[in-house]
Amino acid sequence: MLNVLLAGVGGQGTVLAAKVLASAAQSKQWQVRTAETIGMAQRGGSVLSHVRIGSEGEAVYAPLVTPGTADLLVAFEPGEAARALPYLNRSGIVVTARSTVQPVTAALSGQPYDGEGVIAGIRAALAAQAPEARLVVVDDKAVTQAVGTTRVLNMVLLAAALGTGRFPLSIGDLKDAVEQCVKPQFVALNLAAIDEMTQQAAPLE
Amino acid sequence: MTQKLLMGNEAFAHAALEAGVRVVAGYPGTPSSEVIETIAKLRAQGVAHDVHVEWSTNEKAALELVAGAAYCGARTLFTCKQVGLNVASDALMSLNYVGVRGGMVLFVADDPGPISSQTEQDTRRFAAFAKVPVLDPASVEQGFAMMRAAFELSERYGTPVIVRPTTRVCHASAFIDVVDETRAHALPEGGFQKGPEWVIFPKRAYEAHGEINDRLRAIADDYVTDPVLAQFNEHAEGGSLASGASSGEDEAAAQSPFAIVAGGVSAAYVREALSLIEHEAEAAGTQVPPYRFLQVGTAYPFPEQEVVRFLEGAQDVMVFEELDSVVEDGILQVAGRHGLQLRVHGKHDGSTLERGENSTRQIVFDLARYFRRAHGGHPVMPILEAAIGRLELLHYDEPLPVRPPVLCAGCPHRGSFYAVKRALGKQDAVLCGDIGCYTLGNAMPLDAVDTCLCMGAGITMAQGFAVAEPQKKCVAFVGDSTFFASAMTGIANAAYNGHDITVCLLDNATTAMTGGQPHPGTGITLMGQQSKPIDSDAVLRALGIEHIVHANPFDPHEATEAARSAIGFEGPSALVLKAPCIQLAPPKPPVTISNEACTGCKKCITSIGCPAIGFDGEAAGPASKGRGTAFVDESLCYGCGLCVPLCPFGAIQGEGEDA
Repeated sequence: MLNVLLAGVGGQGTVLAAKVLASAAQSKQWQVRTAETIGMAQRGGSVLSHVRIGSEGEAVYAPLVTPGTADLLVAFEPGEAARALPYLNRSGIVVTARSTVQPVTAALSGQPYDGEGVIAGIRAALAAQAPEARLVVVDDKAVTQAVGTTRVLNMVLLAAALGTGRFPLSIGDLKDAVEQCVKPQFVALNLAAIDEMTQQAAPLE
Repeated sequence: MTQKLLMGNEAFAHAALEAGVRVVAGYPGTPSSEVIETIAKLRAQGVAHDVHVEWSTNEKAALELVAGAAYCGARTLFTCKQVGLNVASDALMSLNYVGVRGGMVLFVADDPGPISSQTEQDTRRFAAFAKVPVLDPASVEQGFAMMRAAFELSERYGTPVIVRPTTRVCHASAFIDVVDETRAHALPEGGFQKGPEWVIFPKRAYEAHGEINDRLRAIADDYVTDPVLAQFNEHAEGGSLASGASSGEDEAAAQSPFAIVAGGVSAAYVREALSLIEHEAEAAGTQVPPYRFLQVGTAYPFPEQEVVRFLEGAQDVMVFEELDSVVEDGILQVAGRHGLQLRVHGKHDGSTLERGENSTRQIVFDLARYFRRAHGGHPVMPILEAAIGRLELLHYDEPLPVRPPVLCAGCPHRGSFYAVKRALGKQDAVLCGDIGCYTLGNAMPLDAVDTCLCMGAGITMAQGFAVAEPQKKCVAFVGDSTFFASAMTGIANAAYNGHDITVCLLDNATTAMTGGQPHPGTGITLMGQQSKPIDSDAVLRALGIEHIVHANPFDPHEATEAARSAIGFEGPSALVLKAPCIQLAPPKPPVTISNEACTGCKKCITSIGCPAIGFDGEAAGPASKGRGTAFVDESLCYGCGLCVPLCPFGAIQGEGEDA
């Protein structure tokens, strides 16, 4: 079983990322279920996309990743990585973007929240509670600036995750799925983002 | 046939089309909206033939419309969310007495949690109240099959049938085989056949009640004997006695197979929890004790024979379901009627959650708690403890920024709330909200929504406040879709009874919260035609509102003046604030905040709370005197310019202005 949780802020593109992973899994003939946050939370709230893949040929019943069982947590910004940390299993991998999305509450309080501080906190939490777990921090800005748009953040993060080689899906599988799932006019852009990311290859901490 | 990754609601739409549905109507509401959107999309693509699909003005209108079509023999589909059925309930209660000719399915989506709703009401309960059969899917695939079966069942007995998924089925996706083109069933020869049965009189209602009771008994039998329906009450069993005998007084209980019954998506969680526990047992070189599992997918009428057969020999049964204790109550009734020696564990004895959502993890915990309490020495305990140990959660203990949903950057409602609040100033006022994105006006710093009850309630509630506390100003915000759905009777009431309220119509030209559906004020239909948009001003006038003022919500000065005029008017008045939702309007270039001019006063932030304006306490500018400065998040800013005139120091520049 491969349990993947995608955590972000409404509008960041977790849904497409889930679809692409599902498609990649389907092409291996594995059973797959996904689930989305739709509704009020989409308006700038925290959103989760769940992807559950029967990667050993097993049946998948529940559409949601149960807390404590995610093999991979892909976070679209650091605060959401920390918030979703309880989903991770003890030997799972967290892939998070370095850039923050500041909530209105932070502006009202007068202090943007400190993304680097949160990343350090995640690192410390993993070291203390789950030494086998791993963290990958993606310098998303460098990649999205090279490609020219932040809209490809989802593919950048998936490329970073699969690039670790720890999952039964490869960068090639990801690219094939992009061609199936993404609107034709955006395929090249997304593939470029994946290539850019694989060249920059974030280290597995 | 094509295999597609379909969201539950898309799958339900495909299933209805494959079942030959001809007339589809509903009103948007999370988590139900995508069914009609999908049918409209497939129709527009030219692959769903002969189907009429529409967003009706509200749920009652939709259900009555499909009732008429079903009387003619058309297969019909009605969709809404759980609270929408409350609106359509008047029609439903009577319709079941009249019956239908063409198959009629009511797709009613429940929302445990709740995630996007005002209540945790259970449509299975509503179905029993209305005496209408209800099917309760555990997965996308099962929902797909149930939708098709529901049309057959409806037509067989002339009864409406409810298909009731929950959010986690509606918004989950799985790969489904769908046919590439569909065609609606032809109407039966002659169409509508006039007859006394279509007019409900008391005498006829008494007869019909007997027919309803008879058909419910027959349907309960069909749930067991009809192979298509019987598959929705799915069995599984597992475990083995080989893991060793237990000791103590509960030996008999420990030896008899433990029975688990579940309804809806909880069935999927139970299966997942059981496989997790079995996995754990395997790792420990043992097996879980014998268990048997039943999903009750045909929730009403209760599949009594099936359940009695399932419970044979069991001494304990645990029931997992979300929302109400519908299956649990059914088992308690069956146990009483059949004299079963059975302990029933569920919501009533606190064994399972009595509200909110279930989960795989929760079910593992519930099972462990049960076995710990009931049979301390039960051989499954070490396995369950190991599973729980594995489910111990990582935690991040530092404070995290809270991220509640907010009005989007560029949302016109932000300016509307700001204007009304400014116009009111220090006057004592009650601000009644309603259902839609604008409920989010409740959040700080706008703090402009004091109440929210149900669709259309704000306008009528404001009248109650005005009567009880006449010294206060009473303002009711209503969106344009809600206006047509359920605000008009309330406005007539204000004019008729002379209530001093201000109706503030937030017209963003769409039903925004549910994803941007058209409504009577837009004139856009799902059939690809453009009807004449209904003019809300003309409606307000016709309903007796004589003082109506208009303003652009993005112009704070104009909007505040207009709000002052409407609120100051004695008697019912209306303030119409019109500007499109950002889902409809292209963004403009982002505004800029001059670091030179920003004094760090935070007026922009504390007045309107736009998510695109942040504040950096560390940033220094020549005018900021160490207070920090505001900044614009260019990826979020829509360039609406609302903030530009709000800066007392002219530090914010909008489109076309010199930076």
